[in-house]
Amino acid sequence: MKYYWTRYVAIYPTALLYMLQDTEYRLDRYIAWYFRTRDFRHVMKRRTLELTKKVRLLRIGIWSLWLLANSAVAVCIYMSVVTQSYTWGVVALGIIALLPFILAFGVIIPLIIGRLVIQLPRERAIIEEGRAILAKHTGTRIAVAGSYGKTTAKEILLTILHEGVRVAATPGNMNTAIGISRFARKLKGDEEVLIVELGEEQVGDVKQLASLTRPTMGVITGVNEAHLVSFKSLEQTAATIFELADYLGKDATTYKNGENKIVASRAKADDNYVYSEKGVNGWKVSHLTTTLEGTQFIATKGAKIVKARTKLIGRHVVGVTVAAIAIADSLGLTAHQIEAGLAKIRPFEHRMEPRKLHGAWIVDDTYNGNSDGVIAGLKLLKESQATRRIYVTPGLVEQGDKTKEVHELIGRLAARSADMIVLMKNSVTDYIVAGLQHEKFAGELRIIDEPLEFYTNIEHFVAAGDVVLMQNDWTDNYV
Amino acid sequence: MKETIAVFFGGRSTEHDISIITAISSVIRPLELTKKYTIVPVYITKTGKWVSDTKLTDVATYRGSKIDDIVAKAKPLLVSFDGGLTINKKRIDVAFPAMHGSYGEDGSLMGLLRMAGVPFVGSDMDASVVAMDKVLAKQVAQANNIPTSAFYAFSKKQFSDDSTSVVKTITRALQYPLFVKPAHLGSSIGITKVVSDDQLYNAIEVAAYYDNKIIVEEAVNNLIEVTVPIIGNDVLTPALVERPLAKEDGVFDFDTKYINGGKKGGAKQAGAQGYSQLPAELPEGLYEKALSTAEAVYRAVGASGISRVDLLIDSKTNKVYFNEMNPLPGDLYRHNWRAAGVSSTDLVVKLVEYAKERFNEDQKNQTTFESSFLKQF
Repeated sequence: MKYYWTRYVAIYPTALLYMLQDTEYRLDRYIAWYFRTRDFRHVMKRRTLELTKKVRLLRIGIWSLWLLANSAVAVCIYMSVVTQSYTWGVVALGIIALLPFILAFGVIIPLIIGRLVIQLPRERAIIEEGRAILAKHTGTRIAVAGSYGKTTAKEILLTILHEGVRVAATPGNMNTAIGISRFARKLKGDEEVLIVELGEEQVGDVKQLASLTRPTMGVITGVNEAHLVSFKSLEQTAATIFELADYLGKDATTYKNGENKIVASRAKADDNYVYSEKGVNGWKVSHLTTTLEGTQFIATKGAKIVKARTKLIGRHVVGVTVAAIAIADSLGLTAHQIEAGLAKIRPFEHRMEPRKLHGAWIVDDTYNGNSDGVIAGLKLLKESQATRRIYVTPGLVEQGDKTKEVHELIGRLAARSADMIVLMKNSVTDYIVAGLQHEKFAGELRIIDEPLEFYTNIEHFVAAGDVVLMQNDWTDNYV
Repeated sequence: MKETIAVFFGGRSTEHDISIITAISSVIRPLELTKKYTIVPVYITKTGKWVSDTKLTDVATYRGSKIDDIVAKAKPLLVSFDGGLTINKKRIDVAFPAMHGSYGEDGSLMGLLRMAGVPFVGSDMDASVVAMDKVLAKQVAQANNIPTSAFYAFSKKQFSDDSTSVVKTITRALQYPLFVKPAHLGSSIGITKVVSDDQLYNAIEVAAYYDNKIIVEEAVNNLIEVTVPIIGNDVLTPALVERPLAKEDGVFDFDTKYINGGKKGGAKQAGAQGYSQLPAELPEGLYEKALSTAEAVYRAVGASGISRVDLLIDSKTNKVYFNEMNPLPGDLYRHNWRAAGVSSTDLVVKLVEYAKERFNEDQKNQTTFESSFLKQF
């Protein structure tokens, strides 16, 4: 109640619109955020409200509500004076007290109506259209599923295959039914290969998307605590992701990340499609070197030799890269074409993306949001040649009942890998600190309130010889 | 409990504007980012008015007329020396002069802070006076067996009284090409390279426009010019030996240092950073020799905290000459410190610690003693 008054400050309506936008109009997340927030003056930390058409309309709506409520208060006061009755005064006070809730929940009513009346029917039509297009399409379909690493796997495959076949892939994080259907509507129809990323947030999602896209080949990149809040257990997550393998059937080609314990435990001992940095399906990796400049290795299968040179960093990318080599080979690409494709692969934006700054290496892994990515990043940091290793993180979101365990592990691993650790203050900070204390971390620990301050002023914090790993980022609705 | 640091900048100096950038970008912002200090900015206008306002830490304030409004509306600064320094009722733990040139870097401000009894960053008053006087600094170096190029110094009055005699003395003692400089200015302001008597007259007039004391130096042959930033009190830490890449005329002037390197010059980095070789690629043994000479100058002048020592090298004879000393390098030369592995935040924290260390050492000295002198009156 201490901060209840902050719901009456001028920024409050804008803060509500901002959080609606920040949660991508997901009402469950918006409502959860609303009840979690105490001080409404400082919710816009990472960006400002983007004035889209939708936001402009909602802004008119929210201020209309405000005007209506205040007019009602004025009428009540007038009636109270005219009738000399306290009742009207009490009603006026009630409206004033409830005004923040009237605005917060009144503003979502048009969204709910719009979703039911316009958005859902339109989406259903697009999905049906996409389903029909994909059903007719003659190209080989490769589906990529997993708690993490989907976009990386998809982009590696796309870049390599582009050297030998006509290929298209779902752009960005477009991995829902509506996203995939929109992608389908843009296809020319003459593509030889389609690469489709399958997203998952609840049980049955992958099965539904697999039936929509009808893949003939699959890649399972890993299973971890991502979206554990909705899945409730890792078993449920694994079962959902393996809906892809179930769809493809026993004899289909489904590449599986053997470096992920859960995926490895679900694969049979004689499964040739389990990939790791050692190789896959007869392809063997040798002469592996990985630095902040990139990764190199030689992949051989019988007489076939592929000399891989990519700008991707970290040992964890070797397995999926060799899987992509194996897939490209199976689709008829030559070693020369595969090598040319590998050479064109660049680090993906905000995913283990290295850059030089004043002689220091900055590794931007802020789009990473999973524990396996954290482990891979910290391993890279530990193995990097550096005068000082700096680790920057707010921690991970949506770790469900594993939150404490995961963040204590991050703290322990970070203590062994970094000389300086910068934490963004939030609900998981104490768990990471506990992990650091467990390892008796003797380096410098900074806990900062302003999440963007370190990122935007990084030039002041670094010097030549430093390696800085910036992992994860929380949108404001998670803080 | 955060320490309070007063950052002094601006001032009645030709390097007023450079001081603003040094203060805001290289001192105040890094200090703020450490979260260890509360900053009290103290801006001194070109006319000498002292102002303190939180808006003074934003560089945008100085681009238009906003600064004039702030200065016009500012209340007079309340400063008290009460066994320490208090500004606008805020007790100052450490003072951070971020001033260049006269009435700041030249020992004036240091004298004031010394009187106030507050620790301050950088060299003390005496070392600042010596370092900022090119003639005195060379004389101190020579007295400590540190080579300098041949030079001749004289006053503006000497020149205005009898310019022919002054020029005759110079040309008898020194050989062209010569460098004519105001004795107290930094940032290469008023410096001219000359190769004839006519040019010499004009160059002296230019230098005399800025300063009462003028120095004329003989050029070093086969020249390699380098600079060495150093921090520390007793234990010195040098950054990298840096080689500024001068224009064809051999003058690393104000524009090259602060302007051409940016937009005009099209260099990747603004200012000196765009025109430097870092670390300097020098013939074998000269890198170490430059470092040791710079450290010797630092100690001879009695510098502390931070300084930058400029050296001239004859690449044929491998002889290293002391040229100039800069007690508060513009921008703190943080590009060099970063390249040497010291971040901007670490640099300012170190400088604050050096200030406290020197102050604490000074406090151990006895400055008064009991006497019966007054009893006789």
